[in-house]
This record gives sequence, structure tokens and C-alpha cells, in this order.
Amino acid sequence: MQSMFEFEQAPPISVPYRFFLGGPLFAVAAGLLLAFGGVDVLASRWNPQLLAVVHLLTLGFMLQIMAGALLQVLPVAAGANVPRPLWLAAVTQVGLAGGAILLAIGFAAGSAWAFRLAIPLISVSVAIHVLFCGYALVRTQAQGATVLALRIAVPALVPTVVFGSLLASAFGWGQTLPMMELVSAHVAWGFLGWGLLLVMGVAYLVVPMFQLTPPYRPRLALLLPLLTLLFLAVWTGLDLFARGGGLRLALALMQVGVVATFAVATLVLQRQRRRKQADVSLRFWRTGMIVLLAVVFLAVAALFNTDPMIQDRLEVLMGVLLIIGVFMSLINGMLYKIVPFLNWLHLQRLISPVPNMKHMLGDKAMAGQFRVHMAALVCVALAVFLPSLTVPAGLLLAASGLWLEWNLASAVLLYRRLALGQNTPSAKAPVQPAGR
Amino acid sequence: MIEPLLVDARGLAPPEPMELTLSALDDLVEGQELLLLLYREPFPLYGILQRNGYSHRAQTTPDGTVHIYIRRAS
Repeated sequence: MQSMFEFEQAPPISVPYRFFLGGPLFAVAAGLLLAFGGVDVLASRWNPQLLAVVHLLTLGFMLQIMAGALLQVLPVAAGANVPRPLWLAAVTQVGLAGGAILLAIGFAAGSAWAFRLAIPLISVSVAIHVLFCGYALVRTQAQGATVLALRIAVPALVPTVVFGSLLASAFGWGQTLPMMELVSAHVAWGFLGWGLLLVMGVAYLVVPMFQLTPPYRPRLALLLPLLTLLFLAVWTGLDLFARGGGLRLALALMQVGVVATFAVATLVLQRQRRRKQADVSLRFWRTGMIVLLAVVFLAVAALFNTDPMIQDRLEVLMGVLLIIGVFMSLINGMLYKIVPFLNWLHLQRLISPVPNMKHMLGDKAMAGQFRVHMAALVCVALAVFLPSLTVPAGLLLAASGLWLEWNLASAVLLYRRLALGQNTPSAKAPVQPAGR
Repeated sequence: MIEPLLVDARGLAPPEPMELTLSALDDLVEGQELLLLLYREPFPLYGILQRNGYSHRAQTTPDGTVHIYIRRAS
């Protein structure tokens, strides 16, 4: 039976890898723009240079890598095959990467044409991605919390892009729109609907699987995405009809509780893991969850704050922590588990014996990049209050992205060498089993 | 009634659960079931089982453990 060991459902390795290698380059670009966009980049959340940095990170780094990872995760999480993965990957990546570049140009250079081009490019590529992944998620018989979270997260990209496109059309054609309300809805669906629910769905699967923890409580795991969907639906309704007051505050507090519960549940599970040694991937995950709790505390403070100056600093700080501290950390941690595993899995079909998974990506290289990423996180967070730190903060962020790119590219090149039969000294000695 | 052959793969990292299960299937005797314990449903394994003439059923317990019973399809 061992000869049957192959994941026929897994897409070709180039499908996830093209997204994984493309994403970190946008972190490098974002870091350089932060460093050289002027010392006042972080002075206001509405600063166009900062909006360019944010979209390089959210669209270019986060969405690109998450979209690629989703194509890999769906067969494992839901037994759901995405049709025509090579074509889909090419179309999605061109749209997301090109869209991120155009939005960055639009914001940083004030170019209306860039916004006008970005809208159809991003909208079409996201629509195709949602349709293909949605088709797989509708067809699957699989049940459970991961599938539920993914079934909400994937369609949540639609309102994210619709509200974002409306905002971009205001920049592209000078239309008058209720900007604050649209920004609120765009940010809520993007960070909570897509980002958080995708992280949640993937965490339900990979935290027990790769970090060897007990599972999330099934009822809790189902409740958290459902409450998030309820929050998003009502919150958007209140935004669009300009209602609020007490209901808005109560909703926000409920969602803050949902996010905090997820972070605490994950940290508690990680404390109960069987293997006591904390590898780099786990350290990234733990950082992400601790910073997520910090964001929760800041969000509560922002809900009750009445000083506009403090509010702006709180919002910029929350954005920095959420993007660099939570999402980039978690994505980093995931990549350091997925890439060695994918190398090993796909080499099974090509060579024998296959080198141990631990030798696909060096521990020292991953640990070094983790430290630089932590330094970048601390420095960018401090630069929110100390503008003189903006240049080193940006350079550290670029360095973290560059080192991640280097690490991933090294793993991909090792795969190529092994697949072509060019064994290397570092990969020769240790052979199966791969999981230890 | 023959006791099921147990593979407790909770707390094992991929690809060990798959390797242990495929290896254990070779040891199944006529009419015997294999009971695989995991913290998730192993969808890639289901495809392999189906293609090789095995049937399966899964039950999730309140603590999140999934019991997967595998047998030769009749």
C-alpha cells in the first residue's frame, strides 16, 4: 500500500510556488517605500504614501500568498479540487500583482489612470478566483469548522473588492462618494471577512496538524466564523445606512470578543502541544496571536477614545500591528511549514529516497529572518510615535521580505536540483521518514 | 466480530498518519476494520482509499477527535 502514497488531488507545485515567490517582493517594495517615502509616511492613516505601502502589503503580499495557499489547502481541508489550477494561478497572480503595483502608483503618484486600470484588473482576477474556489467549496461534501470558515472567507473577497473599487473610482474619476463609510466596510470585510476567517479556517486545520496540539473545540470553532459573519452583515448595514450608536458599539465589542477568543484558544492549544521545542514556524504563529491580542486591547481603547489625535495614532498603530505583526507573521509561519512539506511531497513521485523535510529549509536561515521580522515589527510600531525611526523601520521591513524571498527561493531551487537528479551534499544524508 | 486494527495518529505530524495507515491496511484480515484516530478528516486519504477498493465512515466526537473506520468495500 505504501506505493499508493501520492496526493493525486494536489495541484502542480508551480501553482502555490509562483504566489509564494511573488509575495515577498511586495514586502520589499513596501519597506523601501516606507523608508524613502518621507519621514511623515506614518503621520496620518490617510497619507497617500502610507496607503500605497498598505496596499503593497495587503494586496501584493497577503492576498497574493493567501490566494496561492488556498489552492493548495482546499484539496487537503475539504477534498475539494479547484478546476484548471495552472490557468487560474496565472490569471489570479497577474491580476493581484499588477493590481497591487497600480494601486501603489495610484496612491504614491496621485495617478488617476493607475486607479482606472487597477479596478478592472483586480475585480476580474478576484472574481475568477472566487468563482473557481467557490465552485470547489460548494461541491464538496465536507463539513466542519474549516470548511465553514472558508465558505465565508472566500465570498467575503467580493464585498472587499466592491467597496475598494468604489473608493478607487472616486480617485480615478473624481466621483463624490461617502468615503468614510466605504472605507469602514472595505477594511472590515478585508481584514475580518477574508483575512481573519481564512486564518481561522486554516488554523483549525494546521495548528493541531503541524504544531501537534489538541484540536479546537468543535462548537467554538463553528461559532466564531458565524458570529464574524453576523458582525460583518450588520456592521455594513449600519455603515451604508449611516446608523450607529449603541448597536454599533455592542457589535464592535462582540467582534472584539470573537477575535480575542480565537487568539486565546490558539495560544492555550499551543501550550498543550506534545513537542515542547518551539520551532520558527511556531514562534511566528505565537507572535501573531499575541499581537492579535494587543490589537484587541487597542481596538477597545479606540472604541471609547474621544480625542481625534489619539484616535489617528491608535488606528495607524493597529494597522501596523495587524498587517506586519499578525498577518505577515502567520503567513511567514505557514510558509515555513508548507514549503518543506510540498517539496517532500512532490519529490516522492520523482526520486527515491527523498531527503528529510527538515533539510529543505535551514533552521538558521528561518530563525535569522524571524529576528529581522520582529525587529521590523517593533521599529515600525515605534515609528508611529517617533517619525525619525521611519527610515530604519522601512529598511528592516524590506530586509525581512528579502530574506524570506531568499529562504523560499533556496528551497525551490533545492527542489529543482533534486527533481533533476542533481543531488547536493546537504540533501544527501538524511532520508525518510520525513515527519520528524 | 474481529477487533478493529487501531492506528492512533493524533499528535503525529504529516506524513506519518498517512504512512502508518497505508502500511496498516496491508495487515487487515478478512472482515476486519481499521480504526484511524485523527484530529481532522483526511480527505487526501479518502481519495486513495476509494481508488483502491476501500470504504470508510467518519464520526467526530465532542473533543474534536475524528474516528475513521476503514474496510474493504464489499
